[in-house]
Amino acid sequence: MATTPSLARLFVFRGQLSRKIKFFAGLLTALAAIGIWAAAPMLGWIEPIFLPSPWAVLQALWIMVTQNGLLTDAGISIARVWAAFLLSAIMAVPLGILMSSYRIIGAAFEPLIDFVRYLPVPALVPLAIIWFGIGEETKIFLLWLGTFFQLVLLVAEDMKRVPQEYFETAYTIGARPYQALTSVALRAMAPSLVDNLRITLGWCWTYLIIAEIVAASNGLGFVIWTARRYMATDQVMAGVLVIGLIGLLSDQALRALHRFMFRYL
Amino acid sequence: MQPVPYLQFASVTKKFGELAVVEQPFNLIIPRGQFVAFLGPSGCGKTTLMRMAGGLDTPSTGNILLEGAPVGPPDRRRGMVFQSYSSFPWLTVEQNVLFGMKYRRDILQSQKRERAAHYVRLVGLAEFAKSFPNRISGGMRQRVAIARTLAAGSEILLMDEPFGALDAQLREELQVELRRIQSEDRKTIIFVTHDVEEAVFLADRIIVFSPRPALIRADIDVTAVLGAKRDLATRDSAEFFKFRTSILHMLRAAHAKESA
Repeated sequence: MATTPSLARLFVFRGQLSRKIKFFAGLLTALAAIGIWAAAPMLGWIEPIFLPSPWAVLQALWIMVTQNGLLTDAGISIARVWAAFLLSAIMAVPLGILMSSYRIIGAAFEPLIDFVRYLPVPALVPLAIIWFGIGEETKIFLLWLGTFFQLVLLVAEDMKRVPQEYFETAYTIGARPYQALTSVALRAMAPSLVDNLRITLGWCWTYLIIAEIVAASNGLGFVIWTARRYMATDQVMAGVLVIGLIGLLSDQALRALHRFMFRYL
Repeated sequence: MQPVPYLQFASVTKKFGELAVVEQPFNLIIPRGQFVAFLGPSGCGKTTLMRMAGGLDTPSTGNILLEGAPVGPPDRRRGMVFQSYSSFPWLTVEQNVLFGMKYRRDILQSQKRERAAHYVRLVGLAEFAKSFPNRISGGMRQRVAIARTLAAGSEILLMDEPFGALDAQLREELQVELRRIQSEDRKTIIFVTHDVEEAVFLADRIIVFSPRPALIRADIDVTAVLGAKRDLATRDSAEFFKFRTSILHMLRAAHAKESA
């Protein structure tokens, strides 16, 4: 039996890889990135005022958490993201399904949605402030604006991809259209729907920072923006780190939920 | 007085927009309990005719009558088995079969369970009852679909190339099984296929279609030649071979004439 050298086995074009190796590959790259980050200010490649060491960032993070109430800001940001996300989802899921179920509804809404979808959210910040001031409504509105119109089309596509055979099978065992929708279509589209919701939640974080930078007096975006004003780069990076961690954790949690809910895949 | 025919296509035509799929009025009477194969090239309208019998499409003109009454929208009397997406991936084998009775009010939940178990056994999937479709072979998934339509209590099974995606051996196995199930349960079956051998082995009667627009080229009584009982020995018999060959020759001759 010919044995392939172990390194060559890792680089098979479109090949398979064990979970363990995948995990270590990810870990290694992350550690390398942190290593370069640590080395750069230490070896004098970059001034610490522009790139503080990982250690300095952790220290800043500790102080922000213990003394400046960073967790409260994180909580506020998380609450805003979820409020806007749920609002988007509650509106987008039914409308998306309707758009795919009835051609007339799809034809009526698609041009409008396509138009708004391409409007950059930052361009609408002034309008949002004129309409809603700088209260919570503005932030929720901006996040909703950035995600709802994308999500509707994704949901409509999920619904469209449910095979016609599933509906027809349901009809031939006596289901009415709304029964085929609830007992077959929703189940059939659920895996891709949950995936799209997860991606949408990620977008919410992108828009949240924009919203909190321009119109907020608390939240992670506000904290980062305020630290910038004092050139407290370590605090800026600590804030970014927290956002990254929250994103990573919620994404992994939703992936785990996906695996748990759709074990039949 | 003539008895009312069981399933009757009466001067049926079908157009999708400008495209005539069934141009000449189509007439056919299928007695109860007959296993009919619709044999023809792809795009000849055979699937459309079957779908209209199921209520999944409606004729542009003419009628399809079931025991004298025009068929309405799809219902439990006419079950469908598709080539792909025939079972639901989020339900186990048993749940898929149970799903066939989901909207039946005439039987109790406990009876539904019993019936489901019965039909799961009938198609030979008892040991996979708790498995999800992704854990079983394509052939088993088609058996799940057959069990579901039987459990639903369908009198008529409409099968659209249900074994088309399977390998030859599995296909043969399922054909034997389907024939056995049909003779036990006395279902009426319309089986759409473009495989001459499959049609000859399975059907009591073969309707041979010409290419679009859906003309009947031949109406062949298979049972008169091969008998009602079919098993693996049938396939090896000289009659089967001769019969299959004569139909193939007929199709070839017709094709040559059309091309000329």
